[in-house]
Amino acid sequence: MKTTFISTNSISSATRLALMRMQQALADAQKEMIDGRYADVGKTLGFRTVQTISLRQQHTRLSTIIDTNSVVSTRLDVTQSALKSLTDSVQDFVGQMQAYQLDTTKAAEAQADAKSRLDALLDTMNTAFGNGYIFSGVNTDVKPLTDYFGTPPSAASQGVANAFFAEFGITQSDPAVANISPADMQTFIDTTFADLFDDPSWSTDWSSASDQNVRSRISTSELVDTSVNANEAAFRKLAMAYTMVADLGTANLSQTTFEAVIGKAINVANDAIQGLVSIQSQVGLIQQRVSDASERISLQTDILNKQVKSLEGVDPNEAATRVNDLLTQMETSYALTAHIMDLSILDYI
Amino acid sequence: MSLSNSLGTAVSGLATTAEQMSVLSRNVARVGDPTASRKSANLVTVPGSGVRLASVTRAVNTSLFNNLLNSTSNSAGQNAIVDALEQLEQTVNDTELNASPAALVQRLADALQQYSGVPSDAAFAQSAVSAARDLARSLNDATDLVQGVRSNADAEIAASVDRVNTLLSRFDTVNLEIVKGTQAGADVTDYLDQRDDILKQLSEEIGIKTITRANNDMAIYTDSGVTLFDVSPRTVTFQRTLHYGASTTGNAVYADGLPITGSNATMAVRSGRITGLVRARDEIAVTYQNQLDELARGLIGAFAESDQSATPTLPDVPGLFTWSGSPALPPAGVTQGLAGVIAINPLVDPDQGGDATLLRDGGINGAAYLYNADGGAGFTSRLDEFIDKMSTAQAFDPTAKISTSATLMGFASSSAAWLEEARRAGGEEAEYRNTLYERASDSLNKITGVNLDEEMALMLELERTYQASSKLISTIDQMLAALLASVS
Repeated sequence: MKTTFISTNSISSATRLALMRMQQALADAQKEMIDGRYADVGKTLGFRTVQTISLRQQHTRLSTIIDTNSVVSTRLDVTQSALKSLTDSVQDFVGQMQAYQLDTTKAAEAQADAKSRLDALLDTMNTAFGNGYIFSGVNTDVKPLTDYFGTPPSAASQGVANAFFAEFGITQSDPAVANISPADMQTFIDTTFADLFDDPSWSTDWSSASDQNVRSRISTSELVDTSVNANEAAFRKLAMAYTMVADLGTANLSQTTFEAVIGKAINVANDAIQGLVSIQSQVGLIQQRVSDASERISLQTDILNKQVKSLEGVDPNEAATRVNDLLTQMETSYALTAHIMDLSILDYI
Repeated sequence: MSLSNSLGTAVSGLATTAEQMSVLSRNVARVGDPTASRKSANLVTVPGSGVRLASVTRAVNTSLFNNLLNSTSNSAGQNAIVDALEQLEQTVNDTELNASPAALVQRLADALQQYSGVPSDAAFAQSAVSAARDLARSLNDATDLVQGVRSNADAEIAASVDRVNTLLSRFDTVNLEIVKGTQAGADVTDYLDQRDDILKQLSEEIGIKTITRANNDMAIYTDSGVTLFDVSPRTVTFQRTLHYGASTTGNAVYADGLPITGSNATMAVRSGRITGLVRARDEIAVTYQNQLDELARGLIGAFAESDQSATPTLPDVPGLFTWSGSPALPPAGVTQGLAGVIAINPLVDPDQGGDATLLRDGGINGAAYLYNADGGAGFTSRLDEFIDKMSTAQAFDPTAKISTSATLMGFASSSAAWLEEARRAGGEEAEYRNTLYERASDSLNKITGVNLDEEMALMLELERTYQASSKLISTIDQMLAALLASVS
């Protein structure tokens, strides 16, 4: 007949099992104390892991957008400063031309001035950023405008020369240009010459840029055009105004014809200024949208960070307390085990 | 009553005490053995001639023992499931490492976003392609892992079945000894302990219930009622499948000629390691594979190219991601093993001599599929379309057991969450089962185990009895001596 209800084996196994559990818990608590996150995030969160994974997904997605936005806004900054230099230059041009208009002796200077400005315009329009041209629309790997005064002569300058010869039967450098009447010149400029700056001549002779602008995703939902292409009316007018003065035999024109050409150039340049200003303000708006989007996104990423922390995070203080508790418990358990094992009836019989 | 009669009684006392002492020392010898039950010697008084040892019995508690068998089976089954889940979890790992398919899908989307920021830069194109390659490879690896888990489970089922057969044949031997011993009235308590131990080991592998009959004979049935042992052991058979592919179906385990696992089993065993392993092999791993396959199908679909002609006539074909069945798109519904064969189209992969910018321009499958007809290096519409498609909900098969309509990222993260939830629930269940097992084992041990203190106290008692009987004998001897002296 058995009279006791505890066996020697179960006494020792009880403390052994308890100790094993505590050691596991201690290892986890230590890891949590150091990392500040659950020892096994997936196992602790279970189905809520979907939240932490999608928060992390959103976080990297938004961070990437912030990165790409910074590329976009640098490109826009470069665009903006190019536009500013073009506007400054053309405003200066208008002032100069007004001064030259009444004085044929300055015709050669006017022509030289226009030439250098046309060069500067082409240079600016061919600004490259990173490994693409900023004014060529989606054709970023192609120079948007060709060098007008290059050798061999560019298609654009050929076009102007051909049109001039077809109209007046002489070349621009012929001294006989002095015989061209202001009315004839006016007609030429308004029709044949103006057509050179419209499609299809513009896109074949002048510009390799695409009408389609680069589109960028500046936030999860906003896709915006983030480039300006060389085919905008303002740039055509600018090229037209400069070319008019630079390449219609300006130096040899009669006073009245010269006045007419300069007058027309000033008008066209003024139109170009208006166009440029409106493009600048458009670009400014896009810059604003990009920076707003980035700011908004960076706020979002902060919140996402907090949410991930609140899901996966463990209060290190709490974990530290847990470690202490466990250590105390284990010490107690060791002491108890030792005591129990010491307790033997054999010592008393 | 005579002195010689008293002497006989005293001698019977000595002999019985010695026998009791022997039982006691057997108890003490096995004090550390958790399978040992306490034996006690039962004495009977023989009228007129003292005492003798009638039998040796052991402390038993049948209900606690059955409870232990039950909880052992449940706990072993659940542990097998948890082990399989732990292995599958390698595909997700710590969320911080961003190594799960979900994180890699997002990384691909990020690389595309970066590429669309600088579409003319070939380095970004390559980085997007390499993100895609990583994703395809992680799906391939995950498939290998899942099939590896299934194959491991299969091997473990085979090992488990072997063990069941070995245990049953050992059971046969021990049971025979018990029946013979009981019939002959011998002490069979140690054999009974052995038999209980075999049953405990057996219950780890397969859920069992037992019936004890005349002469301590025992029959074993599975918890579903299929005979495992009745007079003679029944054979449990299982045909191993050596190589696992996603479409491989594992074999069922048969006991006594009847299937005890799988959908055809009318008497499917409900607990034990074999059940856990079968669940891991045929349910958990298969569902997870379905999820991976659906994710692969979603990816191939999202990156497919459509005919860009003014009047499209050609069918959609796989683009960046392709598979063994290309140029067809995978059909709707689960294509088993798709995640194992998804790959990057070699025409886009610079490592295989392809051109990464086809990602931006389209036309991987020929001129009809060219999206960037003008050839602009700043063309981003196709890239934006990818990003949009990746974040647009699409339909997924219900056999994947997660959302039937989700974005690629959403589906991938739900899949990871499904696995983690299974781990969490499985882990909790295992902890509960293990606690039950420990409790059951502990209660049984408390009731049937040996307590050293009790044995020692008993030893003192026996010592006294022995001394008293010896004293009696010497006293009777003196009395007889006195009698003989007076006679002579």
